[in-house]
Amino acid sequence: MTSSAVLSYITFIYFGAFVAYLIMLVMGRELPGRIATMVSYCGLTAHSLAIGLRWIESYRMGIGHAPFSNLYESLIFFAWTILFLYLLVEWRTKNKTLGAFVLPMAFLSIAYASFSPNISSQIQPLIPALKSNWLISHVITCFFGYAAFGLSFALSVIYFLKKSFRPKAQNIFLRLIPDTDILDELNYQIVVIGFLMLTLGIITGSVWAHTAWGSYWSWDPKETWSLITWLVYASVLHTRLVRGWTGKKIAILCIIGFSCVLFTYFGVNYLAGLHSYAT
Amino acid sequence: MKSFNKTMFYPLWNLLRSVKLTILLLIILAASSIIGTVIPQRGQGAMEFARELSPEAFRLLSNLGLFDMYHALWFRLILISLVLNLIVCSIDRFPSSWRLFKTSPDPDRKAPFKDIPPEQSFIVNSNEVKDTDIVKSLIKARFRKFQDIKRDGDYVISAEKGRYSYFGVYLVHLSVLAILLGGMTGSFLGFEAYVNILEGTQVDTVTLKKERSPLKLGFKVGCEKFHVDFYENGAPKEYRAELRFITGKNEIEDRIVKVNHPVKFGGVTFYQASYGKVPSGNVMLSILNSESREEILQINTEMTKTNSLPLKEGTFQVVDIRTDFMHTGPAALISITPDKGVKTKFWIFHSPEKMKEALPSPMLLSKRFNASAFAPYTFVLKSVESRYYTGLQANKDPGVPVVWAGCVIMLAGFFITYFTSHRRIWVSVKRDDNGTLIRVAGRSNKNPVGLGREITQFTTNLKENLDAKEHRQ
Repeated sequence: MTSSAVLSYITFIYFGAFVAYLIMLVMGRELPGRIATMVSYCGLTAHSLAIGLRWIESYRMGIGHAPFSNLYESLIFFAWTILFLYLLVEWRTKNKTLGAFVLPMAFLSIAYASFSPNISSQIQPLIPALKSNWLISHVITCFFGYAAFGLSFALSVIYFLKKSFRPKAQNIFLRLIPDTDILDELNYQIVVIGFLMLTLGIITGSVWAHTAWGSYWSWDPKETWSLITWLVYASVLHTRLVRGWTGKKIAILCIIGFSCVLFTYFGVNYLAGLHSYAT
Repeated sequence: MKSFNKTMFYPLWNLLRSVKLTILLLIILAASSIIGTVIPQRGQGAMEFARELSPEAFRLLSNLGLFDMYHALWFRLILISLVLNLIVCSIDRFPSSWRLFKTSPDPDRKAPFKDIPPEQSFIVNSNEVKDTDIVKSLIKARFRKFQDIKRDGDYVISAEKGRYSYFGVYLVHLSVLAILLGGMTGSFLGFEAYVNILEGTQVDTVTLKKERSPLKLGFKVGCEKFHVDFYENGAPKEYRAELRFITGKNEIEDRIVKVNHPVKFGGVTFYQASYGKVPSGNVMLSILNSESREEILQINTEMTKTNSLPLKEGTFQVVDIRTDFMHTGPAALISITPDKGVKTKFWIFHSPEKMKEALPSPMLLSKRFNASAFAPYTFVLKSVESRYYTGLQANKDPGVPVVWAGCVIMLAGFFITYFTSHRRIWVSVKRDDNGTLIRVAGRSNKNPVGLGREITQFTTNLKENLDAKEHRQ
């Protein structure tokens, strides 16, 4: 079986995990949560193996390269980073309520990659501009940044859910969700990680652009949008650390920030630019 | 003077040190940057876009500098305001950070232990002197600036670490300045240029991109050979140019430039950016009899060379050669000068069938596209010899090391700001009738969760060590 076939099945594993997380939230029971976590770990393991398999396949084809070179591979890796980061947070915080909001991002991303007729899952050889050692570090740092901002987006959404139903504290659907203060603090910590990763992603990208295109910054739409995203999250950190903003305001900024991330990732493909191979 | 300062500069200073301004500027910068990603900037795309605009719209966008907005004055003014804001904020806040950094460690023995959680105090049954030794060695392994006070049977040891964490934010701000400074250095002292070099030729000048003016390199660059490889699916695999650099003293250095592998020579970095093919000037022609289609003559000729017609009734020349005429392949322009009659000029094509599809039919009837325009001959283009040229980008940017230094400082600054904190710890060892009471307290300027984790770890560690000693006794 080829890696892309395996990956299309993983869509269903993640969907299953999402359903289990949702049941846990709705019923307020622990067992579905434990099942969800187990299914997620299985999915992530299979996902990792499939990415490894794809890497090996490319070498068998004689065009060996890391599986980070086109939209299909990036979507697959995006889902992987989301899951990886989420499970890390779940393990650290011992709280599973975020899962029902994060898993959809992972399975939508992988489903879009696997089932969209516009996206080719074939392993393509690398064009000269992509043949660089910077490819791996640039893609990994950027996508960990994107994934962290995805988690922050989910936390912001949950924040609003929790906040809007506060008077009915007994609402069963929201009972397992941590207090808004904890959500807010966790959100901030994840934004810090995302910001650091995005910064690293922009820096590795600049170093690469310097050797490939002769200029570390060319105001290409993708570069510019990554800067816009960076500026939005820089405002999040400044408003919080210096102005003492918390809660709702931060959550709104994080939602704006994640829409910038999405535009940097997908929207820019509709604008002309140097990053056109990621379409 | 002082009052002058106050009246004139205080409001400005007050404005520039405000974080509200920072956030406003960050948002303005982000929002205005969007414009340049929607309107094509510079280059080919911008020209095409501009052509579709009405003259009024074009004039408006052009006057606002929106076709090159990231270099426009108003965009630079936003950047300059942000830089000023960042500098003033840093100057304004630095003294208080410095005071925090300089204050001598707090010798307070009571306050830190107020409201400590129960798990941070415990009793051991052992000898006080040995206990304090264990406490001391454990603290010394994790903290610095060790201090101890003993009073009224209460032995308090305090220590701390991470005072430098107050400065992380200034490093980040400094790094932003360094990156912008590097960018400015590059735009004032560096250049961006390009040059096309035909295989087998040399150049000593490049063309500046912005000014479109020539620039002498001070040495020669030649392209010995250019290679382009393709994958089986037709995608390009590698572009490679064999370059030869020749200095004023006739020293020769051969280097290979590939995409992602630039070559530096004489302070200028050369990047493989594009390539193309041009006719070398040699073409292979064949002349047929238009009626019998029999070949009368096959000839290998050069551009503009005069050749006799088969029956010496005049001469013909190749006056223009294209490697790819309207995407239909090679073409050549033939000019025939008969001894009697008028001069005839017409294009002949390597693949006339493709040409018929590409050209609108009225044009095909024109004599200019009729290979049999000069009776009784039909001219056939057998082949066009071509040569590659490499398109090189030639840049000089003395600001790059400054920018990279800025990036490193930024990462260091982030690390210090977000992953270190000024943590202080107090441990009290107090002899009691029941044994020895040990209490642990901590404080941190940020990341209370991290402090809690460290204190818990330390307390557990301390307990284990004291217990182990107890058992040995």
